[in-house]
Amino acid sequence: MHVVVATDGSQQSLRAAKQLKSFADPEKITDISVIAVIRPLAAVAFADDLSPVDRRRADVEAGGFREAAASSVATVAAVFDGWGPKVHKKIRSGSPANEIIKAAGQLNAGLVVVAAGGRGLSDVVLVGSTAQRVQHYAPCPVLVVRPAPKKPRKK
Amino acid sequence: MDDVADKGITEEAPRGGGPVDDDGGLRRSITGKQLFFYTLGDVLGSGIYVLIGLVAAAVGGAFWIAFAVGVSVAAITGTAYAELVTKYPQAAGAALYVNKAFGNKALTFLITIAFLSSSFAAAGSLASGFASYFAEVWSGPPTLLVTLVFILILTIINFIGITESVVVNVAMTFVEVAGLLIVMLIAIIFIAQGKADFGVLTEIDTGGNPALAILAGVSLSFFAMTGFENTANVAEETIEPHKTFPRALIGGMITAGVIYVLVSMAAALTVPTDELAAADPALIEVVKQGILPFVSSGFMATLFAVIAMIAITNTTLVAIVTQPRILYGMANEDVVPSVFAKIHASRRSPWVGLIFCGIVVASLLIIGTALTSTGGGLDLVARLAAVTVVLLLFIYALVIVSCLKLRGQDEDEKTFHANTPLLWIGLIGNVAILYYTIDDDPTSLIWCAGLIGVGVALYVAESLFGKSGSGTEHDEPTTSKGDL
Repeated sequence: MHVVVATDGSQQSLRAAKQLKSFADPEKITDISVIAVIRPLAAVAFADDLSPVDRRRADVEAGGFREAAASSVATVAAVFDGWGPKVHKKIRSGSPANEIIKAAGQLNAGLVVVAAGGRGLSDVVLVGSTAQRVQHYAPCPVLVVRPAPKKPRKK
Repeated sequence: MDDVADKGITEEAPRGGGPVDDDGGLRRSITGKQLFFYTLGDVLGSGIYVLIGLVAAAVGGAFWIAFAVGVSVAAITGTAYAELVTKYPQAAGAALYVNKAFGNKALTFLITIAFLSSSFAAAGSLASGFASYFAEVWSGPPTLLVTLVFILILTIINFIGITESVVVNVAMTFVEVAGLLIVMLIAIIFIAQGKADFGVLTEIDTGGNPALAILAGVSLSFFAMTGFENTANVAEETIEPHKTFPRALIGGMITAGVIYVLVSMAAALTVPTDELAAADPALIEVVKQGILPFVSSGFMATLFAVIAMIAITNTTLVAIVTQPRILYGMANEDVVPSVFAKIHASRRSPWVGLIFCGIVVASLLIIGTALTSTGGGLDLVARLAAVTVVLLLFIYALVIVSCLKLRGQDEDEKTFHANTPLLWIGLIGNVAILYYTIDDDPTSLIWCAGLIGVGVALYVAESLFGKSGSGTEHDEPTTSKGDL
């Protein structure tokens, strides 16, 4: 089975990758494709929150958003190092949900792993998040990893 | 879940040992056509809908010449951008080129801040232009309120990220062009009716030197030529940039130029120049002449106002996208406080930057309105347009110099070469228009200084308080519980 793991550079997407690793059977997974999608027309086409700050600090001369995407993909891919399945790193560009769904189709994926956004007001009020669209239109099962509750209450 | 699911994968070989493997050409998404419409939409929205009356007032019936000259200078500057983009495709634009050419940190900073400031002023001017068309449809709310709500809504749209859609961008560009086609159609009908007096196209009715009158017109109309520099934003995501970028950028500029010249001729033919000069917004006067058969001019005026608002919105959106992006880049370099690198956890938008930029543009509008109402002379659209033009001409001139200076460096056989004599003409053109604009409106320098001061203040804030090596405190996970 080919699994597509999407990253938007957020901590939550890294957690989603770890979630997959925590329960899935590496014997059943042949390939993992870690995919980042650059949004060319967005204010920040790709923000990398995963790499250490000093590596992130690209000066004017360094490659821009593409570099950020590549380093996020590398960080997430590293989660699966030595786990078994073959890991592919991919960067696409366009609308995240569309590109993830397209990639899942092209790779004949058996599972897509995405992180769901925050639990803030904006996700309730504003139109669909990437995770939501992927859930609705993906050609295969989707694992949506939601953020943990804000403060774990004592029981 | 089937385990044979991986049949049909085109196994991709990592190319050149790169860290990320290729996806059969799907890596980049902006095609040449989309880039062409991006350029065209960006240039068209910023000006001809807003400024044509002022240009007509400065030159007279022959004001199309001002548009022709202005767009030529801008297109030549475009060739310098095209050459530099094919060499350095990163999204940083002018700041990157100047940094490559001069390697002077202070100059790079100045260019970055000047670019940011020009974008603030442009957004302000466009918002005021939007309000003038809005008043054609509903004149109830005060102008200032319309501009502020306009900026607020665009900031929210940006936060949500609707601007990601390339399709929407192309569609909006089509609407923009449609509006200008209506103007041309009206002129054609008018000419066919035999009412047109072509003599008006050569009238330069200012007392003094006709060359100076045209230069004044160019200076005023130059705002309409700006916007193309934002295409560097998407350079990195363009498919085969060395081939498509020069073609799309220069093609877009030339198309815009042809449309500008035809539209200004159409406006000059159908509306008496003094009426054009007095009207605000001016272009709508063409539709109000009632030349079109079968349709009421009231309906056409409303339709045209809506089209104009869409055109202006399209261009303003690009400006508003660019501002937080510049701040984000500078924050990652530790030039401005790291808070501008804060990305909203789920929306992936630089929300602090967006809010800050919205506030700066809103303050510009409020201060500008206050000054204008107390007899500040020039109207707000023209004032902010002049500020944009001064800043951008300075940047354009430096980009051309950088292009010439970087000749022979980082080139390969794919690099696009701009024509050198043309570049010199463009440089002289930029400097001449810059000189005239400042000479004509020295107050614009105060505004420029004020805006650049905002950037300097951010720099000072960072160097005073940002020393703890805080870098970018990106949102840490709210809890480690989820870390498994």
